Amino acid sequence: GRALAVPTDRGGLTSAFPLAGGSPGKMEEGKACSPDGVLAHLEMLEARAHEAAVKQEEVEQQEQKLARLKARVQELRVQRDELQAKVDLQEKGQLGKEGVVSNPVQPSARDVLEWKIKSIKATLQIFYLTGISGKLTKRGVCFCISTAYEGTYLDSYYLELLTKPEVRIHRHSVPIFIPLEQMAKNYLQTDIRSFLSVLSDHLNAYVGRRYQADQLQEHFSEQIEGTLQRNSLCNLLVFNYNVSKKSKSFPFNVRLLYGDLCCSLPTEVIVSCTPGSPTSLAETAAAHSDLFRRVALHKAFLSFSSAEEN
Amino acid sequence: MDETVAEYIRRTVLKIPRDEIKSMLQKWGFLSEKQLQTINFHQIKENVSQDVVQLCEANSADIKQAAVLDIIYNHIYPNKRVWSVYQMNKTGEETEIFDLTDFKKKFKRQLQSALKNVTISFREYEDNAIWIRIAWGTPYKKPNQYKTSYVVYHSQTPYVFISASVLKSNLPLLCQALVLASNYHDIREMELRSHSLNSLKDIVFKRYSQNFQTYHPRPLQERNVAPESTDVRIIQENRNEKERIQRVNREVFGDGPQPKLEFAQYKLETMFKSDPKMDVLDKKEPFRCLVKFYSPHLLESLKALAPAGIADAPLSPLLTCIPQKARNYFKIREKKGLFPGSFVSP
Repeated sequence: GRALAVPTDRGGLTSAFPLAGGSPGKMEEGKACSPDGVLAHLEMLEARAHEAAVKQEEVEQQEQKLARLKARVQELRVQRDELQAKVDLQEKGQLGKEGVVSNPVQPSARDVLEWKIKSIKATLQIFYLTGISGKLTKRGVCFCISTAYEGTYLDSYYLELLTKPEVRIHRHSVPIFIPLEQMAKNYLQTDIRSFLSVLSDHLNAYVGRRYQADQLQEHFSEQIEGTLQRNSLCNLLVFNYNVSKKSKSFPFNVRLLYGDLCCSLPTEVIVSCTPGSPTSLAETAAAHSDLFRRVALHKAFLSFSSAEEN
Repeated sequence: MDETVAEYIRRTVLKIPRDEIKSMLQKWGFLSEKQLQTINFHQIKENVSQDVVQLCEANSADIKQAAVLDIIYNHIYPNKRVWSVYQMNKTGEETEIFDLTDFKKKFKRQLQSALKNVTISFREYEDNAIWIRIAWGTPYKKPNQYKTSYVVYHSQTPYVFISASVLKSNLPLLCQALVLASNYHDIREMELRSHSLNSLKDIVFKRYSQNFQTYHPRPLQERNVAPESTDVRIIQENRNEKERIQRVNREVFGDGPQPKLEFAQYKLETMFKSDPKMDVLDKKEPFRCLVKFYSPHLLESLKALAPAGIADAPLSPLLTCIPQKARNYFKIREKKGLFPGSFVSP
């Protein structure tokens, strides 16, 4: 097939729809020569207008959201000022009739204890939800790195460190294909924060890549032809897929390379068409290639399969 | 179809338990669903295997397809073989981009350049495991399909699981091909062997339950606790001790199931320590002794020792370090103390 290797440092906003604004000269020709050219030109203008309208709508929505949030901030500020005033009054000992309980009930010791326990559990839960939490042990500390991808909590990994005579890893449950030893060599002795941060990045990126591949196999299996070739780190995916559920005659081949182990998006994407495909598919392939580099794999499939349905 | 291939398929089908034959043939996918429906799987296995061979004849099966059936059988029943674990080393720090096609090509090329008569088959599974089946021949003889080695490799890991055949002489060749194909530098055999392939994987991939101290409590698994006798006249005298043993056991072994090993071997190269008055040995040389523990499930039985009252808790670290050290073959030497001759009476 024709391999379309798109360079990786293509920055800026690129749209998913290839703009046919390549050469103005061509447009002139079409306009002058035949009615078909005019229609195509009109279509293109329509598409542009639609896009511009969509963008305009997005901008408007953003502005509305911003205005709403600003109003909310105002509300909360007013509330805060009211409460602050009440607290000041109480402190000065001038109790008014409004908003103050006339007979404050002394909380029992049991209530206080229960509240303290609840509060501590909530704090520990928050620490756990931040992704890195730890507990001191007799000989060191045990860290728990919990991973998540786009709102879904995934696996937790544990790392038990000893602190004497020097900081070293006692045992862990990190998968063997994560380069833990390398990270430990680089950071463990000098900067534990960086070590945990780098390890957390690796683990989160790994589960993110794995999640995307699993979602793809689970929800888009009819579009995938043959097997999905992957590896333990999920940093190389190679497979064939059909653009839509209807046309299965010219599947694309895609090679997704995730060169950065701390990233859950690919650094290199090659989408190629089968030999003999119509030339229009080449543009689609280029568009897909670009999409895969910017958007999560399963979301990319969702977007072009729903675009097909429209 | 070659007679040897027919015989090989027949013998492979005979190994499969009768109830599993149909599903395994379906996994194989070489015979169509229509063809499978013509076989009566309720007759005796001899006849079933004959029917299968006939159908394979109709489809002109060759040794490559027969080899795939063998891999499928061994993948479902890996515990019939003994697996050893090998560890590979590399010095580079480059990001590993494992390309499966590349790996298979390099492995095949390396092995076939050294030995022309060899059958190599690959099969990949969902858990990123690559199964390799190798049937060995010699420069003058065709590969012997009944003397096969199996290799299981998970991409981007330094561990390889090998079930070698009787022909140990081909092992260096196999190791070299693996190292080259997977972009590592060298390989060594670990002191870890078992019938249970999955347990070996659990140990080296650290998938077994280790009890990590954490503030975030994971839900405790339901355990079958025998109901305590509610008769007030019965008092548990050793309740505290029992609870201590349970706690220590949980700290050491964790909550979940243990990896399955069948034995642990300790080779002692230590001096026999006796009361100097009862000098048993004339010569002061190491007392050669080999201690081997056998069990259908060694680690679970070690876990049960202290609660059963047979041993004190905590157990000797020599026994409990097995999963963490990833070995079940040990050599115990003298501890290099300050007074080497300390067993002699002062």
